[in-house]
Amino acid sequence: MAGLFRIHRFRTRLLLIILGLLIAALSTSYLLVTRANRDNATSHIEESLNNAMRVFWFSVELRQERLAQSAQVVSADWPIRTLYLQPDFDRDTLRSTLYSYADRLQVPVVATFETDGEMLATTMRSLTDELCGPFRYLITRADEDGTDYATDFAYLKGDLHVLVVVPVYAPRPNIILWFAVAFPIDDTFATELKRSTQAEVTFISGIEATEQRVLGTTLPMLDAQSIADQTPSQKYMGMTAIHDESYVTRVTPLGLLGDDPARIVLQRSLTAELAPARELENDMRLISLAALMLATIAAIAIARGVSKPVQQLAAHTELVAQGDYETRLIPNRSDEFGQLAESFNRMSDGLAERDQVRDLLDKNVSPEIAAQLMRDGATLGGEEREVTILFADLRGFTSLSENLPPRELIELLNDYLERMSSEIERHGGVIDKFIGDAIMAVFGAPLKQEGDADHALQSALAMERALAKLNVELEAAGRPKLSIGIGINTARVIAGNIGSHRRLNYSVIGDGVNVAARLEALTRTPDYHTNILVSAATLKAAQGKYATLDLGRVTVKGRQEPVAIFSLENQSSQS
Amino acid sequence: MTRHLSILLFALLALDLRGEEAQLNITLVHDGEPLEYAVASLTPLDFPVPTKSAAEAVIAQENKEYDPYVTVVMVGTEASFPNRDNVQHHLYSVSKPKRFEKPLYASGTSETVLFDQPGVVTLGCNIHDWMVAYVLVVPTPWFAKTGPDGLAMVKGMPPGRYELEIWHPRIRQPIKQEITLVSGPNSAEEMRLNLKRDRRIRRAPVGRSGGY
Repeated sequence: MAGLFRIHRFRTRLLLIILGLLIAALSTSYLLVTRANRDNATSHIEESLNNAMRVFWFSVELRQERLAQSAQVVSADWPIRTLYLQPDFDRDTLRSTLYSYADRLQVPVVATFETDGEMLATTMRSLTDELCGPFRYLITRADEDGTDYATDFAYLKGDLHVLVVVPVYAPRPNIILWFAVAFPIDDTFATELKRSTQAEVTFISGIEATEQRVLGTTLPMLDAQSIADQTPSQKYMGMTAIHDESYVTRVTPLGLLGDDPARIVLQRSLTAELAPARELENDMRLISLAALMLATIAAIAIARGVSKPVQQLAAHTELVAQGDYETRLIPNRSDEFGQLAESFNRMSDGLAERDQVRDLLDKNVSPEIAAQLMRDGATLGGEEREVTILFADLRGFTSLSENLPPRELIELLNDYLERMSSEIERHGGVIDKFIGDAIMAVFGAPLKQEGDADHALQSALAMERALAKLNVELEAAGRPKLSIGIGINTARVIAGNIGSHRRLNYSVIGDGVNVAARLEALTRTPDYHTNILVSAATLKAAQGKYATLDLGRVTVKGRQEPVAIFSLENQSSQS
Repeated sequence: MTRHLSILLFALLALDLRGEEAQLNITLVHDGEPLEYAVASLTPLDFPVPTKSAAEAVIAQENKEYDPYVTVVMVGTEASFPNRDNVQHHLYSVSKPKRFEKPLYASGTSETVLFDQPGVVTLGCNIHDWMVAYVLVVPTPWFAKTGPDGLAMVKGMPPGRYELEIWHPRIRQPIKQEITLVSGPNSAEEMRLNLKRDRRIRRAPVGRSGGY
């Protein structure tokens, strides 16, 4: 799985990392800000709802006090006492008087009660004496407490009211009647409360979920009913939803005189409160988007700034790998990449130098020896092994050197050596060294190969043929022909790096080497009529059939035992 | 709310006993303070109340107050209400024993009212809300008010069985109990009373407080 999504391009990876970090940082701060906004708004609303609740109580108390005072004023009015002086109490006239008072006090309900609690008259026609329990309760309370008024919430015919009762004195402190007023807690009251608190206000009655009733509200009736159904009847502060809008909702139970409890629900829209914050959040989103875009551009630029030199370096490395040590990186930067380019150039220099050394090595020693040197290192010491040594010498070179200018002489010599060397190497021989116009070659060192002796013999024959070909060319050019002498011997010799620590050659030494050199010298003997002399040891080691002629035994200089020698002839030239 | 009224009855030596007459001396104390404006009245149980006509009662209107605050009269007494202020008053009562009003009568004039039913008559003034006075109409000539020292001295009745009634403007129910008086000083048992809270108005305009 992971492999599928592995990103191979450095530029893309860098871009993704930078963008990923930025997105993480931005979204974290965005989330923190939105949450802080929400928390702030919520606590702000809660605070304002608490204030609204205080405003509600203050407003209720203010009305109660105002009404109590007004009721005290009108209760001291003359007509009531005058009516009371009459032997037969005239309730109808009293009620008419109460209408006047209701009008003066701006309250819908005014009533009077006997000192024993019996209702005498009221402006609310449907309010019967039986429904006046709350008034009687307040009368008893005011009477017992000796207060100038008593007030509380109560239901009058199912509607929530604030009741106020005051005594009617004749004179004070002689109470002859009780005067009562009530104002409803209804939509109008809720609307007034909303005006000073900006909170949605709903009054609800009932405990059981099935009998929740909206008494007054600033909300549409259906919404208010839904609030009534979903808010708890005890003290509560929390979130409520109306349609899709979130409202912070505060519920406070109202103490009532018996009957059903009522509660006031204050709400403010969190959605509306968050509106300014939403604008900020929108701005923040735009800024984040812009930051992301800028970061993308910056990241691409940075990635390009990094990857471009890396790509150049990679391309250059490819060139170097293919052997181009000449092309140089242009270090046009002062940073790490500039340093890297310089280092790389220095490395190219080093590689070029090494290559040059290797090339020179190849030219100065045979490729096999060069390879062996590269592999095993140039250490002194050797090993004994059987090799076939070939010596080739150009005959009549001395007279040639007298007739040709040095430059042409070298050209001719090089041409000759080139052709001979290539024949030797083609047959698996290793050029041990050039000694003037002579060539010393070894077959079987440093690498032992099957048929080293055969290779040497074939090589000699090929050299003879190659010389014939060269002579045709020389003849055509009007130059004197060249002739060659080759001696071949097979023997056990010491092979290895020979020389000082500062300079050493891979070579072979031993008696067998001398024999080969001697055989080469013997080719000059006119009686032999041959260019190639081979020792019996070589013929013995060879497996192929060759045209040879036994020339008997000769005593080689520096060697007591005579050596059986044979002339080797090219079959093609023989036939 | 419930107030204790300790009534301490002291029998004091009467220095000038007139023949066979008995005397009841009562000191009423409320909340550790002497209680003024309380009334003690004695109604004989074993002989008829003498039809002795009580002295005329005078309830003045002076300094926009009634004076005295509490007046006790025997049934059938006519009380006069002289207006000694330079403003008009509007005397009224809505109390059951005597409902009446004397609307707006001027300074210097006097009205009379006959109290012919026993009971408490609360007097008010339609002009001055704070003006209040009580007339306790009793069916007996033997009664006394407590003064600032809380002492009421009822004098001049023959020894025998009486109904003692204690009343005060703020009493919930008058206390009634039988008491037997002997010649000379008499003492009564201690009683507990229940007074209502003082609802009297604090006189609104600048001026002195009510002298009650």
